[in-house]
Amino acid sequence: MSDPRKHGFFVGYLPIPPALRGFLLVICVLLISGLAGFGLALGTAQDDPGQGAFRFDYGRQTVTGVVELTPYPLLRVTIGNERIPEGHTLMLAGGGKTNVENRAIPLEGQLAQVSGVMLQRGDLDMLQLRGGADGISAAEGVAPPMGTVPLGRWQLAGEICDGKCLSGAMRPGRGLAHKACANLCLLGGVPPVFVSTQPVDGSEFLLITGPEGDHLPETAYDYVAQYVSLEGEVERRGDLLVLRMDPNTLRVLD
Amino acid sequence: MSQAEAILMGLRVWGGIGAVVAAAFLTIGIDRIDADARGAYVFRPLLIPAVLVIWPLVLWRWYLYETGRVHWHGRYDPPRRSHYLVGWLLPIGICALIVTGLLQRQSWPADVAPVQLSIPTEAVE
Repeated sequence: MSDPRKHGFFVGYLPIPPALRGFLLVICVLLISGLAGFGLALGTAQDDPGQGAFRFDYGRQTVTGVVELTPYPLLRVTIGNERIPEGHTLMLAGGGKTNVENRAIPLEGQLAQVSGVMLQRGDLDMLQLRGGADGISAAEGVAPPMGTVPLGRWQLAGEICDGKCLSGAMRPGRGLAHKACANLCLLGGVPPVFVSTQPVDGSEFLLITGPEGDHLPETAYDYVAQYVSLEGEVERRGDLLVLRMDPNTLRVLD
Repeated sequence: MSQAEAILMGLRVWGGIGAVVAAAFLTIGIDRIDADARGAYVFRPLLIPAVLVIWPLVLWRWYLYETGRVHWHGRYDPPRRSHYLVGWLLPIGICALIVTGLLQRQSWPADVAPVQLSIPTEAVE
């Protein structure tokens, strides 16, 4: 049997044949640098996931306010704390990809105390409630009237997201890479949020609902995480804007 | 029907046909084409997941064996004949997919400003 080293035949447990040394060196350099470069290119091509996060560092937040249903549960804060001021409107969600509608519906229009952990991304925030009555329970007192200010019909461009991941439960919490997660959250009844390209009446985040103030229509799920334009009625509830979208105007932008 | 429902429906139809094929092949077909399988049953449920996925291939191979068109020696052909082509097509295809995805990606329409189409009804009154 001839010596494999003479013929440049690679055998893993033998020294590298001289005829193959240059070739293997070139392949190694190309492979390592190429993969590193490819990884760097892919990484830099991604959008900045932003600074949203669960604010466990704030500790448990407990505030009191009036429960509203859009139908997604909101709390119009009447007794706040240092993190959540009075007058603020909080979107409410359950743990994971769940909602708190069953717990909030009996308290609609009433004063309630809510408790949980905040998610925060810039001006956008949400409260993930604790389980059961620890998360939301009726509070003593008479609920003050809470006004809603209609702002008319608007044509907006932006992205439909699930509010919880966008607020910081996931990073990235928006974009195509997050579409499946966003749709699962929306199926779970997590409040959806529309991110506008530019501020509407001072805010670029709007809670988005169906045209009749109902849940986000399922036809909108196909458009989640894509850049779209749509029309709808906008109203202000405290410091939160609510967009009642018209699904017939949904259009994917080029 | 939404895109997600269409994908789910497609998977259900594919899996449903696969279940029928698995039931027929693992109870009848396998005894007809593989003498070594006759009288052996415990291993058959283990094949169900694979048949659910590749049932067209199972049907095709079953057909070849039943009609005597199978070339038994072909089973022992080394597959490397096609490896060279596949070896190039696979990485090129993956790179092409990634590059196409990046090129097709939407850009954030930052220049599209919100437009108020109508003022609130209450304001009109």
